[in-house]
Amino acid sequence: MPGRTQATLLLAATWLSSAGCGGGGDDDDGPGPRGPSGPVTVDLDAPPPVLLSAYHLFTWDPAAGFAFNDRVVPYDVNTALFSDYALKQRALYLPDGTTARFDPDRPLDLPVDLPVGAVVMKTFYLPADLRAPGDAVRLIETRLLVRHADGWHPLPYIWDAEQHDAVLTPAGEVRAISFVDAAGAVQVASYLIPQRNECQSCHAEQDTATSPIELVLIGLKARHLNRAHDYGGSIGARNQLDRLTELGMLSGAPAAASLPAAYDFRPIEVSGPAGLAPAALDDAARSYLDINCAHCHNPRGVQGMTSQLFLDHASTDLFHLGVCKRPGSAGSGNGGLTFDIVPGDPDMSILYFRTATAKVGAMMPLLGRSLTHGRGAELVRAWIAAMPADDCVTVP
Amino acid sequence: MQLARLTTIVLGVGFAAGCGDNFEAPNFPTTDCTSATTAHCLEIHGGDSAGLVTAANSIEAGTTIVLGAGTFEMTGQLTLRTPGAHLIGQGIDVTTLDFGATTTQGNGVDAIGNDFLIQDLTVLDAPKDGIRVEASTGVVFRRIRATWSQASSSSNGAYGIYPVKSQNVLVENSRAENASDAGLYVGQCQHVIVRNNTVTGNVAGLEIENTQYADVYGNTAEDNTGGIVVFDLPGNPIVGRDVRLRNNLIRNNNHVNFASGGTVGNIAVGTGTFALASRRVEITGNTYQGNNTVDIAVLSGLAIEQDVTKWTLPTATLSGSYADLGLLPGGPAGTIMNFRGENIVIAGNKHTGSGTRADAGDPLMLGLLLLLAYNGQAVDSVLYDAIGEPAFHSTDAALNSNANHLCIGGNTGGTFASMSLERQSPTVQIPFFRPAAPFRPFDCTALAGGPVADVVLP
Repeated sequence: MPGRTQATLLLAATWLSSAGCGGGGDDDDGPGPRGPSGPVTVDLDAPPPVLLSAYHLFTWDPAAGFAFNDRVVPYDVNTALFSDYALKQRALYLPDGTTARFDPDRPLDLPVDLPVGAVVMKTFYLPADLRAPGDAVRLIETRLLVRHADGWHPLPYIWDAEQHDAVLTPAGEVRAISFVDAAGAVQVASYLIPQRNECQSCHAEQDTATSPIELVLIGLKARHLNRAHDYGGSIGARNQLDRLTELGMLSGAPAAASLPAAYDFRPIEVSGPAGLAPAALDDAARSYLDINCAHCHNPRGVQGMTSQLFLDHASTDLFHLGVCKRPGSAGSGNGGLTFDIVPGDPDMSILYFRTATAKVGAMMPLLGRSLTHGRGAELVRAWIAAMPADDCVTVP
Repeated sequence: MQLARLTTIVLGVGFAAGCGDNFEAPNFPTTDCTSATTAHCLEIHGGDSAGLVTAANSIEAGTTIVLGAGTFEMTGQLTLRTPGAHLIGQGIDVTTLDFGATTTQGNGVDAIGNDFLIQDLTVLDAPKDGIRVEASTGVVFRRIRATWSQASSSSNGAYGIYPVKSQNVLVENSRAENASDAGLYVGQCQHVIVRNNTVTGNVAGLEIENTQYADVYGNTAEDNTGGIVVFDLPGNPIVGRDVRLRNNLIRNNNHVNFASGGTVGNIAVGTGTFALASRRVEITGNTYQGNNTVDIAVLSGLAIEQDVTKWTLPTATLSGSYADLGLLPGGPAGTIMNFRGENIVIAGNKHTGSGTRADAGDPLMLGLLLLLAYNGQAVDSVLYDAIGEPAFHSTDAALNSNANHLCIGGNTGGTFASMSLERQSPTVQIPFFRPAAPFRPFDCTALAGGPVADVVLP
């Protein structure tokens, strides 16, 4: 596995230096490909466009990478959802004259008040060989969440074979994608491009089982965004939250240095979790579970609340974290085990089993993974192993 | 329906062309859009799985999708998130959604949305659950089947027919087979009717879990590990109550337990019914026959989870009504505990040929205890673990308490024993208390607080 993160970073760096992926392009005086030819167009009253290019959000060129339009700002997250090793380019668009409002009552949930017309986009792509991440890159899909007055509307676009444009595809697709991983082994993913309705498997929350379901953002939260990003050109590396404030796209946020940050997974992807101090191991594991599991497994998760297993960063109750907890409805996904987490014993813990297995019908997350994320599973394993041992059977 | 028909045609052409199909006549021998009761309707011809998935992801609220005869080879779960979605095939053996070639994780049909209906089709070989309908109000399963083609395989999906966290649920005239957990699983629902279904070849045939107000009647549970069971799980904020099992046929549930562990992995082969951590349950008028371990067991939640803190729930988190149940207070203020099995009526059931070959291998060792206790005799029809009873005596009725208000008085067609399970082990055997009818002090015949009311769906 060593080298994957490095490769990813190299790829990103290649693009940043050559493409100057700066949001708010007026500050960007670097050379680069031409971005979209007109202003961003988001018509909330019309049916969604069939072609992604109609939004004028960004352009893609195999040689030069992504180029973003005005008020389209790329961002990255500290720990990412694992999606069969696909690399991701994320960006946020806000209409002219609007800002995201930082809510001091929900400081970890940055986008509680993103304006109508906002678009959050994520493009998934893979090179042929993760050891040469700038070569033979194929864009797979771009997922949009478009903010309407009644909430977020999800729209899946699939890139065409010529890589010229992406086409709105409500049915999604399951596609066999082979690539060489960072260790030089061939991997074949049954890569899931979600159906439009499947967006709601992850992006849906409600207060109780009878409350209205609302679509929510997952990664666009202060703790995930709170990290440096190289904007290229004359801007260089800046904290992403501070940069949004500078651009006038975020109001009311304190300096990023005063805000919490999720753990940066990148060093773990390179070296694994060995040697992490106890506090860092806990922080890293909780950040990993938060971004990979808590979109369902939180007290407001429509499908996750069924299990009463809550892995969001804010949940601290040990039982609901899975410690000595019997699963609610794991069915045959339990791997023959009894408890979600047996402290000190990952091999007896369903949480580790479902993270490590690639068995269809048993693996977690529910959607979007067909391969095992080796480093992620190692991290969860190390986290459970480091807990004070408890057999979960002897009643205290 | 004119406009809706036009929509159908447009979609159909688009997809037939896209997939290189011929323009075949749709095959709708039983049902088509003329009988749809929703505002919109689409017809998808048999086998057009791409058209079906596109339709499912494109429909407006209040749309019937009529599926033609034939088999739809699905590559991923069929996901529905639109209110008023009705999915109607041409018959339980005529229209099949086959998920056997699915290479991605997922359920078969995965639906969230009020006023959901699925009818007249089969869901085959789903990776996880066959048909999962969640967080929805107004759910109908009618004449459908959820099944897996390989019997007794622990890699089969967990639940066949699975309404969960839903209200006003009707499951009728349907079949659930070969699920590695529960065939027909009603979880965390309120106001439920389950009638005239057949469940076979599952680990648990029919489960009612953490559910309030359920009427379960006219069903056949045969050849499962356990037939029809009612229970609460620890830590779940819907406290089960008011469940009626009546006039069901529960026979020969002696199937090998092929679950990969979990709660159902504990079920002894040959269990007709158990009620565990349940209250306000009526088990009446059922026919029990040939269940090798026992027909009916009444168990405390402590039989599977002895740590009472895991049965402790803050009342502020509870859904539905519970205040009249007299639940045990938990340790911390503002909490209750729901492990007790209490306030249960068992009456008027027929029992024949059961308890003759108790399972010697169940993880809870219940079957082993029974083998030792009965030593070749048939196990009594109704067993009670007597956990939480302040008084137990093996022979003197006056020295037994009925603090959990278990009423066997009307079950004169069967026999009864209580067993002080907490103190039993394979090495410490305490003789069972085996009173004759009317089973004093368990000779009451009515629930405290009045009988379970009829479930009336809007």
